[in-house]
Amino acid sequence: MDELKTKIIERIKANFQDATENNSFNYNRLDFNVNKTTVPSILFYLKDEMGFKHLSHITCVDWLEEGELELIFIVWSPVDKIKVFVRTRLDRENPVMDNIDMIWRQAHTYEREFREMFGIQFTGLEAPQDFLLEDWDGPPPMRRDFHTEEYASETFFERPGREDAGDVREEIIKRSGEEIPDFAKKYSR
Amino acid sequence: MINDKNSQKIVDFIQNWARKHSIWVLAYGTGCGAIEIPPTMTSRYDAERLGVRGAATPRQADVLLITGYLTTKTLKRVIRVYEQMQDPKYVIGFGSCTINGGMYYDSYNTIKVLDKYLPVDVYINGCMPRPEAVLSGFAKLQELIAQGKANGAQKYKDNLDWYRENQKKIIPNWVMPEYNW
Repeated sequence: MDELKTKIIERIKANFQDATENNSFNYNRLDFNVNKTTVPSILFYLKDEMGFKHLSHITCVDWLEEGELELIFIVWSPVDKIKVFVRTRLDRENPVMDNIDMIWRQAHTYEREFREMFGIQFTGLEAPQDFLLEDWDGPPPMRRDFHTEEYASETFFERPGREDAGDVREEIIKRSGEEIPDFAKKYSR
Repeated sequence: MINDKNSQKIVDFIQNWARKHSIWVLAYGTGCGAIEIPPTMTSRYDAERLGVRGAATPRQADVLLITGYLTTKTLKRVIRVYEQMQDPKYVIGFGSCTINGGMYYDSYNTIKVLDKYLPVDVYINGCMPRPEAVLSGFAKLQELIAQGKANGAQKYKDNLDWYRENQKKIIPNWVMPEYNW
């Protein structure tokens, strides 16, 4: 496995100068950090030349303190049984990324979701604007500076009475005369 | 005399008795609670002995079960479904999500209090309510129907403006047909 991993690292480094590897994970995982302009070509190369045929997942991480969004593409090789993470950083204020749905068609769905949930614009993505959210006119809800509880309490009604979320057992005992069994007492707050 | 007050009472009694024994539930599940409906309907708990059974379309159904959380997107469809249903119609709020938001109390996309948007006749609490609880909810609904107290649809008609105002707060782009009953 280690031989295979070093071989992959050599091939990637020879073809993509800006790729930096991270080989500190055990067993079958390998990480590459690249610039965002390199992402389509490295994914093409991994798929067509090296047998990483399967796109497992695309995910996004919000690095609020660093002012960046990180996109992570996870690809899997069914022959070598290795998964490769391709990471790239985007500017948080104006996140623009190349569309990759011509490589894997399923990336289309991911990209529509990122556009809605993180506000990432994919150049050349042809899809209707609304996907999961309808009539949404707030900030992208999956970013870390979106206060979901605040938004929910502003937008939706709340049922009064249980704001404190306190323990109601005492009150139940008072009202009904019911006794708490011993085993349940230790769970009381 | 047919307009006599006592004969009206008898007519109402017979009407309510018939209604309470033929509760047809719309086969429409929102959220995760719909998974409790198959065991309720099938042989273990057999809800059909109470007259509870599934109906295919809103126009044939009597009861709308809101099974769990309602996203703002689903609320639009649910309102439309509810307004298509014919009288008599009842709403059962199912699970703690419909009562106070439940575990989705801080979600940006789910409503918390169902009875601000639709008139709810019976709430069943629990997360999830087991089929026994569902059956007890139906029994409670039958009781209310027999007493003539399950009048959520009438409440909706009378306070339509108030309900519409609340609904339009959540659904700003209102493109729904206006039903006139």
